[in-house]
Amino acid sequence: MNKKKLTLKILFFLIITDCLETLVQLCFKKSVLSETNLNITSLASSLTFLKLALLSPYLWLALITVFLIFIIWSTILSKIDLSMAVPLASFSYVLVPIVSIIFLHEKIPTLRWIGIGFIIAGIIFVSRSSKENEASL
Amino acid sequence: MIKQKLFFIIILIVLTSICDTISQLFLKKSINKLNFDIHSIKKILLFIGRLLLTPRVYLGGIFSLLSLFIWLYVLSKADLNLAFSLDSMHYIFIAIASGIFLKEKISFTRWAGTISIVIGIILVALS
Repeated sequence: MNKKKLTLKILFFLIITDCLETLVQLCFKKSVLSETNLNITSLASSLTFLKLALLSPYLWLALITVFLIFIIWSTILSKIDLSMAVPLASFSYVLVPIVSIIFLHEKIPTLRWIGIGFIIAGIIFVSRSSKENEASL
Repeated sequence: MIKQKLFFIIILIVLTSICDTISQLFLKKSINKLNFDIHSIKKILLFIGRLLLTPRVYLGGIFSLLSLFIWLYVLSKADLNLAFSLDSMHYIFIAIASGIFLKEKISFTRWAGTISIVIGIILVALS
């Protein structure tokens, strides 16, 4: 009944999850960025890599955020379908390029912006599918 | 040599996607079984507590960790934008898996939206 309805409140929390997810990705990238010179070819070198990554404060910040995401995400999933929540979470694809420009100084070409447009259109479609299902019930 | 390396990275990303899908399925399945109605912060804490007592969640957590470690490795090798873009097949996996294992009804609009998102992500990958 009411359970599968997508409300503004859920959408708001999804966007918060996305923001946190973006933060996690950024922290992960930062935590491994300092070890890019390391060549991972064997099990021993991958263990060294893991050890170096575990020492990074960025990684721990990321892990704390992951737990926070788990709480919010579980709450969202108790309200809506998985096949709806996951596509809606793709909003981070819109956020990540923007954050990449600002913090990692990566350049975003035009085609990528078109892709971002498709993603936004998809998000609108998926969020409309909740109303559709409700009408059929 | 470079092509081979890229292929290896792609295989790893597919593996991450599959692991992630499995972990999401376990989580959603446990949440469905709990059948909780959340409308206050207190309820959320109770809900998370109950959820953490479900063995299935930890099974999902193992897959999630596996996915995370592969992902960390991928990020150390590939550009953040590229890695993120190739992860798009995840959406197709999720749609199919929730249809089969969670018996969710995936309407035409939802498929259209999901596919539009995947197209968008592939465009992002091509750029």
